[in-house]
Amino acid sequence: MKNRLKVLRAERGWSQQDLAERLEVSRQSVNAIETGRYDPSLPLAFRIADLFGMTIEEIFQRGE
Amino acid sequence: MTDQTLSRGPAWFWGGAFFVGMFGTGFAARALDLGSIPSALVMIPPMLLLIPLVRASEKAQAACGALSPATRRYNRRGLIWAFGYVIFLFVAVFGAKSGASGPLLWLLALLPALPIFFMLWTMARYLVEETDEYLRLRVINAALWATGLLLAVATVWGFLETFELVPHVPGWAAVPVWAVGLGASSIVNRWREA
Repeated sequence: MKNRLKVLRAERGWSQQDLAERLEVSRQSVNAIETGRYDPSLPLAFRIADLFGMTIEEIFQRGE
Repeated sequence: MTDQTLSRGPAWFWGGAFFVGMFGTGFAARALDLGSIPSALVMIPPMLLLIPLVRASEKAQAACGALSPATRRYNRRGLIWAFGYVIFLFVAVFGAKSGASGPLLWLLALLPALPIFFMLWTMARYLVEETDEYLRLRVINAALWATGLLLAVATVWGFLETFELVPHVPGWAAVPVWAVGLGASSIVNRWREA
């Protein structure tokens, strides 16, 4: 799955640590999601979408 | 990146020192034919290396953003069972050598198994308490790899033993083999993420 997490985070001037704290996950998790090594569960994907005020599909897209 | 690399150094160092210390004293005790009780005693100092090893590992985990409260609790509980294991093992060996028999010997023989049950509980608690799904998945993966390694080693060794090519290894060796597999998988995980 592809995602725009890194871009969305950069637009807000957040570090990976900032985003991790807002999502209440580890920085390692944010890094793994951003680099496509880990696809989040639906509950976490909803939390990410809610944080950015977007839908899941606007952040995560199909594809490798 | 530099910080991560620097903070990983001590964990590797203490891990190596612990490994060399435990196996070194184990082999030395056997080679010198020290007997059960002195053998258990000489393995206590290398066990103490677990404390700086856990502290250095936590620093490394914190540096790469992977130290959750559940991981911290798991590490602390890990130290408790590791030391409990050595102490109970010493008590059991000492008791058996002192001529314990009957029900008391049964009790002593089962004593070192208690910290292992605590270890299993620690592992289960970690999986329940870890709120970070990615970190939890990583530990589950590492545990599966460790289980695979244990099954492979036990099967190969078992057949070699059946055909009398290698000496008998007691069943309790399963836990150390599994722990080595867990540690190796965690190291591979970190390498892949570096």
